[in-house]
Formats: sequence, C-alpha cells, structure tokens
Amino acid sequence: MAIAFPSVEWVEEYKKQINLSEGYKKAGATWTAGVVALVTSAKPEIGINEDVGIWLDLHQGVCREAKIVTAEEAQKAPFCITGDYARWKQVMKKELEPVKGMMQGKLKLKGDLPTIVRYVKASQELVECTTRIETKFLDE
Amino acid sequence: MGGYTNKILEVDLSTRKMDNTDVPEDDKKRFIGGSGVAAKIFLDRFNIKADPLSPDNPLIVMNGPITGSTFPGTSRFAVCGKSPLTGIWGEGTCGGNFGPELKFAGFDGIIFKGASPNPVYLVIEDEKIELRDAKDLWGLDNYAVTDLLKERHGKERKPKVLSIGPAGENLVRFAAICNDKGDFIGRTGMGALMGSKKLKALVVKGTRKVEVSYPEEYATLRKLLVTKSRDAVVAQSFRSMGTDAGMDLGMMTGDVPIKNWSIGEDFQLSANLGGPSLTEKYLTRNHACSFCPVACKRMVKVDVGPFKAEEGPGPEYETCAAFGTLIMNDDLAGVIKANEWCNRYGLDTISCGATIAFAMEAYEKGLITKKDTDGIDLTWGNIEGAIELIHKISKREGIGAILSEGTREAAKRLGKGAEEFAVEVKGLEAPMHDPRGFHGMGLAYMTSIRGACHLMHLCLGVEQGITAYPEVGFQENYVGQSSEGKAEMVKLCEDFGIPCNSLVICEFVAWTLSANDLAEMVRVTTGFDFSLKDLLSCGERTWLLKRGLGNMMGASREDDRLPKRILTPVGEGAAAGSVPDVEKLLREYYEIRGLDSKGKPRKEVLIKAGLEYLAKKLHG
Repeated sequence: MAIAFPSVEWVEEYKKQINLSEGYKKAGATWTAGVVALVTSAKPEIGINEDVGIWLDLHQGVCREAKIVTAEEAQKAPFCITGDYARWKQVMKKELEPVKGMMQGKLKLKGDLPTIVRYVKASQELVECTTRIETKFLDE
Repeated sequence: MGGYTNKILEVDLSTRKMDNTDVPEDDKKRFIGGSGVAAKIFLDRFNIKADPLSPDNPLIVMNGPITGSTFPGTSRFAVCGKSPLTGIWGEGTCGGNFGPELKFAGFDGIIFKGASPNPVYLVIEDEKIELRDAKDLWGLDNYAVTDLLKERHGKERKPKVLSIGPAGENLVRFAAICNDKGDFIGRTGMGALMGSKKLKALVVKGTRKVEVSYPEEYATLRKLLVTKSRDAVVAQSFRSMGTDAGMDLGMMTGDVPIKNWSIGEDFQLSANLGGPSLTEKYLTRNHACSFCPVACKRMVKVDVGPFKAEEGPGPEYETCAAFGTLIMNDDLAGVIKANEWCNRYGLDTISCGATIAFAMEAYEKGLITKKDTDGIDLTWGNIEGAIELIHKISKREGIGAILSEGTREAAKRLGKGAEEFAVEVKGLEAPMHDPRGFHGMGLAYMTSIRGACHLMHLCLGVEQGITAYPEVGFQENYVGQSSEGKAEMVKLCEDFGIPCNSLVICEFVAWTLSANDLAEMVRVTTGFDFSLKDLLSCGERTWLLKRGLGNMMGASREDDRLPKRILTPVGEGAAAGSVPDVEKLLREYYEIRGLDSKGKPRKEVLIKAGLEYLAKKLHG
C-alpha cells in the first residue's frame, strides 16, 4: 500500500530502505558530518499546514535514526535542505538531481557545500532509496 | 552612447606606425563588441586566406561595452584572429584585469597588423603609447616577464600585463596569452599568433572611468546584480571550491573524460582531484577577477614533495581533468605543478593535457616508444612524464615538436591509426565534458565556431541544469543522454552564448543572472534601445558571421563531426552505452539554423539577419 509523503510511516520506511541499500552503505561509508534534515515547505491546499522536517541521523553508511521534526528543529541540523512539495516530488521521481536543484536555487541548502559536493554519490543513493518506497503524493 | 570609448588603437608592427580607428555605430548595435565586432573587422578588412602565422593575419584584442563597467563579471575581453591551431576563426576571452585597464586608458581594443622583425612590447599609459624593444624579455616565462614589467613600469602604480611565454615565442600551436600570471586566453593558439608577430607583451595603465548612458539605472541595477550573483548557489560553490567543484558531480553524471575518453567512471580519481581536495590540501586563498562577486580563482601552494610549488594561481576544473582523469593521474600536487609549468610557458592546459593523453595512448599502443620520447616513460598516470613532455612541447624538442602541432596534426604524422584516438573537432582538442553524458554538448562541439568548445554557447550550464533561463525558451530539465530536442536547445544556447563573448561577460557570472539582466546591462550602459530579443538577434547574426568566416577559411559540412572515440560507448558509469545521435542532431540543427548541404548559412538566412555583404561573399 502506498505511503503518504511526508508522514511518520514514510520516514520509518525510508530509514529501512537506506539501511538495506548496499549502494548507500558504500557511498556514505566515510560520512561523519552529522544529521541531514529535509524540510518540505507548508502547502495547506494538500494538507501540509506547516513546514515539515525529516531528520536523518546518518553516520558511516547507516541511518541511525529517522524522524519527523518541526522546521525549527530541522534548522539545528548541520545540513538542512529546504524545498517545496513539488520540488521534493521531482527529486523522488528522479526528475531533479538534488545537488543541481541546489545549484539552481530550487532547493535551499544550509550547511557546508563542499561536504555535500564531496558526497554527491551518497546523495544519489539516498534519492534511489526513496524510489523504492511506494509513495502516495498528496497532490495527486 | 556609453560603454564605448569609440577608439581602437591600430598598430602596424611591420612599420611601427600607430593610428586610431573605430567601427561604425551600426556595427556596435549589430555585433555589440568583443569577438563579435572583431569578427566584423576581420571580414571587412583582412585577408581571409592568409596563413595564420603570417603577418597578414591580424591579432585583435577587443573589449565589449560593459567591460570595466563594474557590473559583475565584466573584467573580460576577447582576443581573436585566424587560429594557428585550427586554421579557421579563432577566439578566446580572458578574465583578470587587462580589458578594463585598456578601456580606462581610452581604448575599446587594439588591432595588431604585420609582424615586427625583432621582439617588441607595447606600453600604453593613457595617451602615451610606445613600442619598446623586448630583446631582453624574449625567452622569459610569463611569471618572470610579468614581474619584470610591473617593476619597470610600476613606480607609482602597477600596470596590467598581457604576455606570451616561450611556447608562444616558439609558435606552439596551442600557445596561450597570459594576463598577470593567472588568467589566460587559452584556446585556439592566440599565443602563437602573438609570437609570430614578435610581440612579447602589452603593458597598460589607464586613469579614466567607463561612462554609462543611464547612471541612475546603472547604479540600481549594479547593486541588484552584484547581490544576485554573489548569493547564487553556483557562485557559492565556485567561491568555496573553485570551478573544480564540478568534478564530483561531473563524475556522477558521466561528464568527466577518463583515460583519453575510454573509461566512463572512476570515483577514486574524482575524490582525489575534485574541488574539496584542492581546497582542503592546497588552497591558500581565494582570488577574483576585477568586479567579480563569484571569486572562483584559487591560489595554491604545495609545501613538500616532488611537486613542491610556491604560492601561485591554481588549476581550474579543466586542468584538473586534463592533467588528472584524462591521463589517469590521481596526484593533485602533480596537477598543480603541471598547471604552473603551462602558465609559465603559456600553454592552453586543455589542449596540452589532451595532447599528452593522446601521446600516452600512442605509447601504450606502441606507436611511440622511449626511443621517440628521449627516454620519458609515458605510462598512464605518470605525471612526472607528463611534466617532462610539457617542457619538450614548449621548446619544440624531440617528440615535443610533433605534439606542439596539436593532436590532429600529431595523429596525421604518427599515422598507423592514431586518428582513431585523437579527440578533437576542427583541430581543437575537446574540453573536459563528455558528450556521451550530454548529447547536446556533442552537437555544440560539432557546430561551435572554433571547434570542440564548451564556452561559446551556454550548453554546459543549460543542459546540465546548473542554470536555467526560462525567459529564453529553454526547458527546465534536459535529459543528458538524449538527443531529443537538443538541436533546438543548442541553437538557442549559441544565440544566447555568443553575445557573452561580445559584451564581454564571464559565463560563470552569466549563469547566476537572467538573460534579461544581460540585456539590461547593455541597455543602461550603451543607451541602445536593447532588449532580450535584441540580444538573441545579435547572437544569431554574430554566429552566422563567424560561421561564414569559418566557411571561407575552409570549414564545411564534413567538419561538423565528432571524433570516433566519443562515438564509442563507454562500458561503465552514468553514460554507459550512450552516444549522441549525430545524424539526427545535425539534420535537425541544419534545418533550424538554416545551413545548406555544404554547411554554409543559406543566402536568405544571411539576408534576413542583415548580412547581405557576407551572403554575397559566400554565395556570389
């Protein structure tokens, strides 16, 4: 059954898929830079009344914790990437590569850009993991 | 009419006669400036059939109206002429500080005609202009000659210097021209053209300011654009890691050529050679061209080891790939040393690295041996061997004499199938972006005016999604490994990219701005009634003009091609199994662009663009 994005269930499934991914395990093996938070901007017309953060505690190729947090909490992560719903949907459908999205200003990054650039392969694997989740998009 | 000084210095090096000239206002409106106006001057006044290294081939240094205006990215100027490397129209642009200083001295450009019998250099201090003897400078490398001239002519204020090194003096066909040690007109061998005129250097000091037509609008627009450019993520990326920031992303998308374009992926190489490594290990400080909020330039230093180097200008992405992935070298310190030698000698790092990669493959295949290389081991990855070759190429010694002619000619001379792995288009070595990952870039290489070029169109930014210009008509997300819709994209990219070399503006800064911003910069500076539509029309007209020049110099439909190596799929990486559909791309492009079966712009297309004179020359 398709899982709504974003939701607690979706985030749990995402953590599971990340930890099942051999690709991410390899590409993220040396990642020790801390938590990555993904923030989806509010879009009341599809039921997202306030900004939603997804907190991913990534460490050496493993996702140690994944949870829904407030946008305020998400901003405390060393890396926080913010985009509107349509952009995250494009990312998950592999229509927008996240690093390019940041270059074009479609996704906003708070955090050390060189670190993100160094781990583009890992970011690609994280996107790949989202495609393994049967996702229900709230605007469809 | 702001922006222009309306004065072009004309120097006849054969007679030492100097004069001022200008182009009609109409040509400024139609071709803007920079390499656009230079091409028009060439067509109007010079011998198209002249040998590139003969006195009849002019060297044209040209600013654009916004050069020196202090708008972001306006340090650039163009240097043009018939290319000694390709034999067709050649041009390059350069950042740094020379262009603005030339304008501050009162000139839109300089046309060098003829050739001096002895080495000379030109000194401009506002109205005071002098050709001076350069016998004592001949043989000095770019760093030494720059230091010497700054000292000699900089008692109160240091001048800006444009120079050639030994490679230009020795007529290496891919010799570059250097501005103050760190910025280069690299492509198409303009350094050899300058060397053929025995012109060692230009020294300029100016005290004027660029006058703009609408000062209030200019001030408002400038403030807005500086902030916009500075804050763009691509600018932040380049500022923090240099242009080499693109190495890691490029490896992921199949953009980075490896082992003379025969391998599709090697993440270890990109991890060692990419922007983060360069920044963490060797960066001493950032550096910026005049008026640039992006500040992508790197100053680097290697403290220890065989490639120890004093602080100096560091390698760009193109150099990190050309002396890194392309030759299978993972030692970034070695790349920095190779870059320093190329800077000192005055060599285009793209063509030089590509030619060395070609030599390494020839060595692997047994087409050349240690006997031919005077004992240099050219095994893949041997950066020491590559650096030894740089010396030989610059001095035209031994195998270096053949390689100094460029890959196309070297392949001809080596024979035995060497053309199969010579990666060039129209004689210009391909830059470090793989068309198998991005098919539009393949078409852009085929149709670019000066040969395999990644700059005279904005394909790199547009197709890879680094930037987007919806107002021009581009799609938002192009699929790299598809030839669908790419002919239209490339034509638009050219029409928009060509004016960047006319304005002249840095492409990287252009990535951070909108197309309307560029048109506005022209309007408030010049006072022309100028919109985005005019910018694109100028782009199309100038592309047709330069294409016509290329046609008259011998380029035809057969030259719009990709080398066999690029049409051979790689087995791994993001672009595995993918090659551009050349037949489809060219068929559609020829239709959209209005080219005939010989590759010439059709008569009616030229007339529509207001190029009746060129139509008559091309079609009678």
